[in-house]
Amino acid sequence: MEYLFTIWVIVTLNFLLPRAMPGDPFLYMSADEGQEVARFSEEQRQYYLEYYGLDRPVAEQYLSYLSDLLRGNLGYSLYYNEPVSTIILRRLPWTTFLVIAAVLLSTVFGTILGSISAWYREKWPDKFLFFCLILLSEVPAFLLGLVLLFTFAAGLGLFPLSGAITHFANYSSWWEKLLDILHHAFLPVMALTIARLGGMYLLSRNSMTTVLEKDYLRTAWAKGLPKKRIIFRHALRNAMLPIVTRVFLSLGSLVGGAILVENVFAYPGLGHLMREAVMVHDYPLVQGIFLVVTICVLLANFLADLVYRKLDPRIGDYSGIHGG
Amino acid sequence: MMISKRYNIARHLLAVLVLVLSSIFLMCGCGAKQAGQAGAGKAKEQGQVDVIRLAGGDWGYPTPYAVYPRGPGGFKMCLIFDGLLERDEKGLIPWLAEKYEVKEGGKQYLFTVRNGVKWQDGKPLTAEDVKFTFDYATKNPMVWGALDKKDIQKVEIVGDRQVLITVTEPNAAMLYKLGMVRIIPKHIWEKVDNPKEFTAPEAVIGTGPYRLTEYSKEHGTYRFEAFDGFWGPKQRVKVIEFVPVSEEVLAFEKGEIDLAGITPDVLPRFQKDPQYKIVKSPAFWGYRLLFNMKDYPILQHKELRQAIAYAIDAQELIDKVARGAAVPGSAGILPPDHVMYNPGVKQYKPDLQKAGELLAKLGYDKLDENGIRQNQKGEKLSFNLLVSSGEVRLAEVLKEQLARAGIEIKVQSVDMKTRDARVRENKYELAITGHGGWGNDADYLRERFASYSKGGALMASAPGTPGYQNEELNALLDKQRLEFNDQKRKELIFKAQEILAEDVPEIPLYYTTGYNVYRPAKYDGWMFMFDHHSLTHSKLSYLERG
Repeated sequence: MEYLFTIWVIVTLNFLLPRAMPGDPFLYMSADEGQEVARFSEEQRQYYLEYYGLDRPVAEQYLSYLSDLLRGNLGYSLYYNEPVSTIILRRLPWTTFLVIAAVLLSTVFGTILGSISAWYREKWPDKFLFFCLILLSEVPAFLLGLVLLFTFAAGLGLFPLSGAITHFANYSSWWEKLLDILHHAFLPVMALTIARLGGMYLLSRNSMTTVLEKDYLRTAWAKGLPKKRIIFRHALRNAMLPIVTRVFLSLGSLVGGAILVENVFAYPGLGHLMREAVMVHDYPLVQGIFLVVTICVLLANFLADLVYRKLDPRIGDYSGIHGG
Repeated sequence: MMISKRYNIARHLLAVLVLVLSSIFLMCGCGAKQAGQAGAGKAKEQGQVDVIRLAGGDWGYPTPYAVYPRGPGGFKMCLIFDGLLERDEKGLIPWLAEKYEVKEGGKQYLFTVRNGVKWQDGKPLTAEDVKFTFDYATKNPMVWGALDKKDIQKVEIVGDRQVLITVTEPNAAMLYKLGMVRIIPKHIWEKVDNPKEFTAPEAVIGTGPYRLTEYSKEHGTYRFEAFDGFWGPKQRVKVIEFVPVSEEVLAFEKGEIDLAGITPDVLPRFQKDPQYKIVKSPAFWGYRLLFNMKDYPILQHKELRQAIAYAIDAQELIDKVARGAAVPGSAGILPPDHVMYNPGVKQYKPDLQKAGELLAKLGYDKLDENGIRQNQKGEKLSFNLLVSSGEVRLAEVLKEQLARAGIEIKVQSVDMKTRDARVRENKYELAITGHGGWGNDADYLRERFASYSKGGALMASAPGTPGYQNEELNALLDKQRLEFNDQKRKELIFKAQEILAEDVPEIPLYYTTGYNVYRPAKYDGWMFMFDHHSLTHSKLSYLERG
């Protein structure tokens, strides 16, 4: 229920916000320096306003917007001249791919580094890792992306400068294509991963440290269990709880990072699309992207809820008491 | 708006970083730079090349209806579709029409359609196709092109290959508008009810020199291949590929693209190296300072506007804001690169003394404690200047300059769309707007400055000048519209520029120029159209020249 209400509020805001933005999408009087602008005559402008239903009263537009949404119709893009859902669906997989790859990598490496740090707490490996990762976590992803682009793509020529695949290529097999895609995705994924690594590291270090001080671990030590078993079976399993939650909750913020990184690498994901849509005041497309992103974030929250309950039965009990 | 602002910051950071990092790489002397160069081979005189790669991006499916209204998509579409006329360096040239005649004092245009032209699906082009195109475009306005619904009265086929177009009212700029309309095949489009959504493979069949062989909306790539059955001059480039790039200069240096637009900052990287050629673009993109004379009668005084013109130092604006890559505005409005530019018009060289004299004549002869001029009644010379967030720097330098002449400027900065909306509704006192198209037919002087042109015929993209009226100018601009003799028309436009320079209904601040760099050894056929600032946009850039 809560989730449905949230979605309704978002949908409504989503409808209203672009319309609160000043200026109409077919009025181009000026342009960014050097850019070319199509000249619309007054008549053409009217024609397009009518064509897209923008001349009707707002209430009427709102109702038809809602009913369209229920039928899964996100509207028609003013600029791209295609159904919004088609455009988004084509771009979504690329962003999802980047984000999921970055989440997986940063979680795995963050957790490993965090555990190492917690294990050697206050000794030099801990201090060294702490220093490096704090430093890295302060650098925004797009800046990392630029540095990577200049070093590994432009300087050393190890990776392509832009895009998601080699253009106009003929692949002889599916794995050749896959390799090409991975080759192109490597730097953007690295940028996102490194930018997130610091956060994951701190969280797992913290969590690990707390767990390592717990009584049951002392018991485990006393029992003379092997080191590996203690770390991975006893400690990490319990330390994972906040980490897993964090993974789901941070999906939303990662999309934000992906937007800028995609623009650095001209990567054809939602972020690239979002920038273009905002720049040309394409209401339906902006709405569509926001909606898809918010739904993804809500979905991530919902999953985080579920997983948390599953991992920590006490949460379930509490919500039972409060009638959650 | 949040996003665009953040993006802007990001973009600026990016620019700085690019600069820093690229100079580091330059100093390190990255050895891979010239890789792939040797294989390109030496081009002969008018030699052919196999593939040219250019910076791309998604600009829409290249049909006259599905291409995006902004950006360079229209020019990609023009590689496939021809118009009756085409543009070269000097002006209009016959294209699908082998000849044309202006009749009845500009009421009628008789085009003779070229024989032996084939559509890319093998069918012949007929006069029927031409008539169909104009009828169709009148019903469904094309995204690209300046033709208006009400421009055309009727289109008839006369004789074997002749099409007679009767226009609603004579206008010297009409030939250009008619000539630029992309001709589409009747046998394909007559069944299409919703042209904007028509993106089948046959939608990109034209008579032009290139066929579309690949297009990816998602990746923003286009591939054009020379059409063997093309009627006209031989293609010098067999395949044109557009690919998206993250950093144009970087991609150019790495040989990923064959031509790049560059900023003045990176010029030195290419200037000394003989393997590169740098070309300066004609300045057809400019900023102008608008006066709302209708709601602020004080701006009606010609002396005030002239004083402002004298107070502005365009060269300083260019040095400080445009980093040198611009040409000072001409008081006659048309930029120096325009085919009808009048070099003899009065220009306002920065002259604070003259500005002061003019303002004193208007009664503003006292200075207040801040150095702002005021008159006997104590009214200060103070104006609000509306700009978009991208022009704040320009506005601040302008403010300083005008302050030296005792004129106070309060800068109001809003986002671009708000500014546009307010300018359109005349809700401003002074405003700055920037746009392209200054190389277009000089008839835009009429759209902007003829006092009767407000309303109906006015383009949404070119607001008029509220409250400005000059009967002599109106008459001149009316007359040039009906003058079909180029030389005589030029005289009228010259006279109009003189009046405009004297009246100063608005002040063009400067017109920006871009730079292009390419490797002449790879390909050297690039050219500018007489009214346009891009080398890659001209179809003739890829064809053999006579």
